[in-house]
Amino acid sequence: MTVRFFATIRTYTGETERRLDDAPATLRELLTALAARYGTLFRRAAFAGADLNPEIIILVNGRNVLYLRGLDTALSQDDEVSIFPMVAGG
Amino acid sequence: MAKVLMIHPDKCTGCHNCELACSFEHEGQFRPAASRVQAYTWEREGMTVPMMCQQCDDAACVKVCPTGAMHRSATRANLVDWNEQVCIRCKMCTVACPFGNARYDAASSSIFKCDTCQGAPECVTFCPSGALEFVDDEQQVRSRKKAYAAKFREAFQEVS
Amino acid sequence: MFGWTGTILRVDLTKGTITREATDPKLARDYLGARGLGGHILRSEVDPKTDSLGPDNKLVFAPGPFTGTFAPSAGRFNVVTKGPLNGVLAASNSGGSFGPELKYAGYDALIIEGKAAKPVYLWIKDDQIEIRDAAAIWGHNTLDTTDLVRAETDEDAKVSCIGPAGEHQALLACIMNEMHRAAGRTGVGAVMGSKNLKAIAVSGSGAVKVADPERFKAAVMKARKLIQAHPVGGAGLKAYGTDVLVNILNQVGALPTRNYQDGYFPTADKTGGESLAAKQLVRPKGCFSCIISCGRVTKVDNPAYAGYGEGPEYESAWGFGSDCGIDDLDAITKANFLCNEYGIDTISLGSTIACAMELFERGFITAKDTDGVQLTFGNVAAMVEMTRKAGEGEGFGAKLAQGSYRLAESYGHPEYSMTCKKQEMPAYDPRGVQGIGLNYATGNRGGCHVRGYTIAIEVLQNGAVMDPRITEGKAGLDITFQNLTAALDSAGACLFSTFGIGAPELAEMLSAVTGVEYSVDEFMKIGERIWNQERLWNLTQGYTTADDTLPERLLKDPIKTGPAKGEVNRLGEMLPEYYQLRGWDDKGVPSKAKLKELSLN
Repeated sequence: MTVRFFATIRTYTGETERRLDDAPATLRELLTALAARYGTLFRRAAFAGADLNPEIIILVNGRNVLYLRGLDTALSQDDEVSIFPMVAGG
Repeated sequence: MAKVLMIHPDKCTGCHNCELACSFEHEGQFRPAASRVQAYTWEREGMTVPMMCQQCDDAACVKVCPTGAMHRSATRANLVDWNEQVCIRCKMCTVACPFGNARYDAASSSIFKCDTCQGAPECVTFCPSGALEFVDDEQQVRSRKKAYAAKFREAFQEVS
Repeated sequence: MFGWTGTILRVDLTKGTITREATDPKLARDYLGARGLGGHILRSEVDPKTDSLGPDNKLVFAPGPFTGTFAPSAGRFNVVTKGPLNGVLAASNSGGSFGPELKYAGYDALIIEGKAAKPVYLWIKDDQIEIRDAAAIWGHNTLDTTDLVRAETDEDAKVSCIGPAGEHQALLACIMNEMHRAAGRTGVGAVMGSKNLKAIAVSGSGAVKVADPERFKAAVMKARKLIQAHPVGGAGLKAYGTDVLVNILNQVGALPTRNYQDGYFPTADKTGGESLAAKQLVRPKGCFSCIISCGRVTKVDNPAYAGYGEGPEYESAWGFGSDCGIDDLDAITKANFLCNEYGIDTISLGSTIACAMELFERGFITAKDTDGVQLTFGNVAAMVEMTRKAGEGEGFGAKLAQGSYRLAESYGHPEYSMTCKKQEMPAYDPRGVQGIGLNYATGNRGGCHVRGYTIAIEVLQNGAVMDPRITEGKAGLDITFQNLTAALDSAGACLFSTFGIGAPELAEMLSAVTGVEYSVDEFMKIGERIWNQERLWNLTQGYTTADDTLPERLLKDPIKTGPAKGEVNRLGEMLPEYYQLRGWDDKGVPSKAKLKELSLN
């Protein structure tokens, strides 16, 4: 599984992507593991209490997890996860 | 302990909100020509620098003023104040200020010079970038010095 | 008047006359200014059959009632004219400082008519107006033009001008102000060139007045807080610029690649806002009254593409980047600088070069056509050279400067032009994002994203979310965005203020400035009126429902790789409902009832 980080998320992780040999079962588990690795700023960006932070955009294979199962979205080994803060432009 | 209106040109984005806030506060309308702060832009470099009265301790404008209209305020620290009543509009202050920070406005028959808006400068409130700061004189350069000091902190930080 | 100045300036370049008229308060109230007021002027005064590059077309520079106040990020103006690229009621939006200066000089609009016998520039200093000889300035790029005009007028004058592209009346020519800000699209620069008008310099010492200063200040403070609290309006755009979008569109699988042959570009990250911030960014920049500062002051050190200026924005980084199969940000930035200097639309030119690359790779054009250049996807030097040639109007570049529709058609293959109504679509693949496709197809000026930026909801989670892959509800979404944007544009506000505020805050500030009480419904209705006004003009140009469409490629050829692989755009599922919700018949013609409701004739 590949997890990619963008914009300010990169400043929290210090890297642009991370490969995982063992995919966590759900998005919640993945974000919890990443928060443990990268610390408070990452955790605050990802979570609002026990819920997904509305100001984070997470794609699994290009699909926003809000249209999948949110934090309960199941993950598999071949998945590509992209994590963005809210960004925009024109 | 007095407050200083500190300028950080490196943070200025050239938005002119300072000019708008100043003119609105003093005249209730938007006339940047009336602003006591003027932000000058050099388009090729994409650089803007705001300029306003620096409230000099030993002010040239005070020295040349024949009536005492330009005077150091007795009631507010670090302020060169302008007494509209005794001013004869000779404009000697505008000639004397080496920075060009006092100017005569014909439309309103006034001398325009930053008065720090009764101690709560509007330009500082409206600047979105922190390019203008109204700060205790002791902390005047703190943000700038600390920003550089932080680079050393990064360089020497131990990685666990 | 409050907000508005109450005066419109009319300059006839044929006769050399200058007249002042009172702004009609009813028109100002119902059309606001900028895009709306300019559009009304065009419809009232210009025969739809007029040659857009002839003396009877008019060129309107119009700020809005917000312009020149401290309404946050609301210092914009529009250039409105019959667009040479495609005949539409073109309204091109720009920031910088030119719009506010027109207000301080005392004008709600500047209407340019006729054609000067020789190159001239206009010098507006409050109520002193001069038409001056521009012989010594003609031929110069927009940066040098600005300096030269200032040297003859006022060193701090705000200057709006054309570069060589506008002088050649290239259909992609734009109008630049403050050197780096563009009224970019639909060929407005060609109209200015066709009038022999090289530049307009403005210096204003007057004021913009406010009806209710206390109410206005309170509304502004509230709006500022909302924008500053928003992750995008408050921090993201300043940190990364609009170019931050490259990666998210790519990860969604909707980053048009190699002339829309695909929707995913593996090395896109090299061209994104993160890379720009790390490598080329000097500092962020804001337009007049802006609190967002999305502007990028940039430089390129690489000697091959050395330069200094502003940009690239997302669209420009895409046009010269993934759309051309290129990931060299130095070269992309250089192409952007060249476009600013020559005064030519980055979106359309990037897409046109990409079109040419596809024609070349398919063998429909050869090196004989392209002045010996191997114009293939990924050829970085060729892309930059062709950009320069297009600006110069030199060789094959002269063809590129006319846009991809005419280019592809001239070689017998219009299907490779990625345009709607002959204007190039920007950087969002509608096969990956359904709603933006409806916006492209129904857009009043052709391919355009800003007119109805549904991306904010379909991809960027700005306040609400809608699945980009579905078509349900997209008609309503598009209409809401199109109406809101039309009103916002006409007030002089920047689209990016919607990362934080919406119609309620805009209507409140507008009411406080002008003294005219606008409810949210009235504000949106004004937007609907302006949208319909543009549609009515376009009908006179022969545009029909057949033109409310997308290139075949997007309807029939699925995206090949990446997360949106296999998708096409399903316009047919959205268009009928769009017409119906708009109150138009099934041919897309506004009904009499709708026009009456909007007081449009």
